[in-house]
Amino acid sequence: MRVFLDRVSKHFGAVKAVDELSLEIGDKEFLALLGPSGCGKTTTLLIIAGFYRPTTGLVFFDDRVVNDLPPRERNIGMVFQSYALYPHMTAFDNIAFPLRLRKKRKKEIEKKVKAVASLLHIEEILQRRPGELSGGQQQRVALARALVKEPSLLLLDEPLSNLDAKLRIMMRAELKRLQKDLGITTIFVTHDQIEAMTMADRVAVLERGRLQQVGSPEELYNMPINLFVAGFIGTPPMNCLAAVLEEVEGKVFVRTGHFSLPLPDSVVRKIRSRLTSSAVIMGIRPEDITIGQGEIEGEIYIVEPLGKDTLVTVDIGGEIIKIIAPPGFKANPREHIRLGFSVEKIHLFDKETGKSLLI
Amino acid sequence: MVIKRAAKAVPYISLLFIAAPLLTMYIGFFLRAFGERMVLGVIPERWGINNFRFLWQPIAWGLEKTTMWAALGNTMLFATVSGFIVTVICMLAGYALSRIEFRGKTFFLVLQLILHAVPGQILLIAIFFLLLYMGLLHQIPGVALARAALEIPLGIWMAKGFFDGIPWDVERAAMIDGCTRFQVWYRIFLPLVKPGIAAVFIWGFLFAWHDFIYVYTLLPGTIKLMSTLIQSLLATEVIDYGYLAAMSLVYSIPPLVLFVFLQRALLKVPIFGGKGAA
Repeated sequence: MRVFLDRVSKHFGAVKAVDELSLEIGDKEFLALLGPSGCGKTTTLLIIAGFYRPTTGLVFFDDRVVNDLPPRERNIGMVFQSYALYPHMTAFDNIAFPLRLRKKRKKEIEKKVKAVASLLHIEEILQRRPGELSGGQQQRVALARALVKEPSLLLLDEPLSNLDAKLRIMMRAELKRLQKDLGITTIFVTHDQIEAMTMADRVAVLERGRLQQVGSPEELYNMPINLFVAGFIGTPPMNCLAAVLEEVEGKVFVRTGHFSLPLPDSVVRKIRSRLTSSAVIMGIRPEDITIGQGEIEGEIYIVEPLGKDTLVTVDIGGEIIKIIAPPGFKANPREHIRLGFSVEKIHLFDKETGKSLLI
Repeated sequence: MVIKRAAKAVPYISLLFIAAPLLTMYIGFFLRAFGERMVLGVIPERWGINNFRFLWQPIAWGLEKTTMWAALGNTMLFATVSGFIVTVICMLAGYALSRIEFRGKTFFLVLQLILHAVPGQILLIAIFFLLLYMGLLHQIPGVALARAALEIPLGIWMAKGFFDGIPWDVERAAMIDGCTRFQVWYRIFLPLVKPGIAAVFIWGFLFAWHDFIYVYTLLPGTIKLMSTLIQSLLATEVIDYGYLAAMSLVYSIPPLVLFVFLQRALLKVPIFGGKGAA
């Protein structure tokens, strides 16, 4: 099923929880709604589920406007952060509950519950109550309850955030595989950018109720539309430095307090029409800086080995920069070091609006 | 060492002072109920159950005779009907006030508290006429309805508190699964607030069980409840205190039994995990 939000807003008194949000989720697509807490992502999900009526705007399921359709008639499955299992029912009864409400025959219910339980590997725990299940098991039961009614839309509200780190990584892959196998249109709410990037086909980044950018994980990573997206996506986040653009003898340079870099012609051509002032924010990802050689000098602040590679923090005249260095890189604090910035990987943002000058 | 010990004893001594009058009364009550022929009013000469003769003998009441069992049955009916009405109304109202937004909700909730602050006795005359015109006067269920109305305001607050404890996500999950509002209430919420149901029922039951003024005013003298029966025995020329104490003891047993019976339900609170995002 295709979901389309057409300029949807939700106001709670004077607070605009969701502000003019337009978003299309394709059939069988896995979309992540990503943003910090309070950005409106859960509100958006509850609007799609039918618990909140949008203040303005329309919600479409395929070509049908569903603004007035109550949740029970929307044929959606939903998994909550707290799992929201019914504590007085066994796992079996929890999963069977939606089918019983639909007055299915007993045999059919049993068959369907067994099938979904085997899909999620929870056959052994069906007779237990939620209080006797671990977090991971509760989550599988919640997922089974959402899937057993064969929904045309699956909504996941931070389903992984109550799991421990190891289980979370396992469930990430399992959920993604399940979604691909079943082909259910899925909307996934998370504040964890790694979850969003690893699982979703496309990611929609929200902040203060407004859609910042929507695109594939690669798009968001390589072409962030503004400073917020740039800072929110990627670990460690992009390094951002205040800078000015200046033209010397026909060549354009970006100059920070302590160094100056020539910009490639391709970048200059792009930004010329968009430039409103010479004050910009320069962004560069930690992996786009080479360490050990280059034209910029800095002082090692600290070195953190991560196993696969090494995270180096360098002080360039008071500006703190994070760099991903190759594994085995070693240096002592206060040691002087040379750095090279890959100029073609530089991001430039308008200092006033925070918008990218490259897109 | 001595000072330390003395310090430890302080709470017990002060508690004893508070409890002593009550304890004395209860002890006297038991002594009177099971003692026969009291010396100096407190020391029983002989133990026995003669005071409990109302259990098998009819009680003379003017020219008629009644039995304790009839009064106990009436009281049971009165308290049960009252408790039932309080429970049904509070469970419905408590859910609505906990989960549904509507105009005037806060006003309604505050009004309930104010209503409860008004003593029920001042409504007696109004209720008398109301029941009279409704054709419910002089009947136990009718008076139980009036008695229930007095406990409903605070009962609603109690019920609301129990419903408030259920996470929103559980309700949302039920609605996603296909429940109507009523099904959410009936199939998910009621089983989860069993302790609340028990508490509200006990609330309604107890106040009706102990009620005197409504029963005395709104029921005819021929329909005796335990409270009015005991009162009528007090209004005789020679008061048999042992007899009264024994009857009062019997009067106080059913609520205790009910408490013990519902104790399991009261303590069986379902446990929720995780964060219930609102």
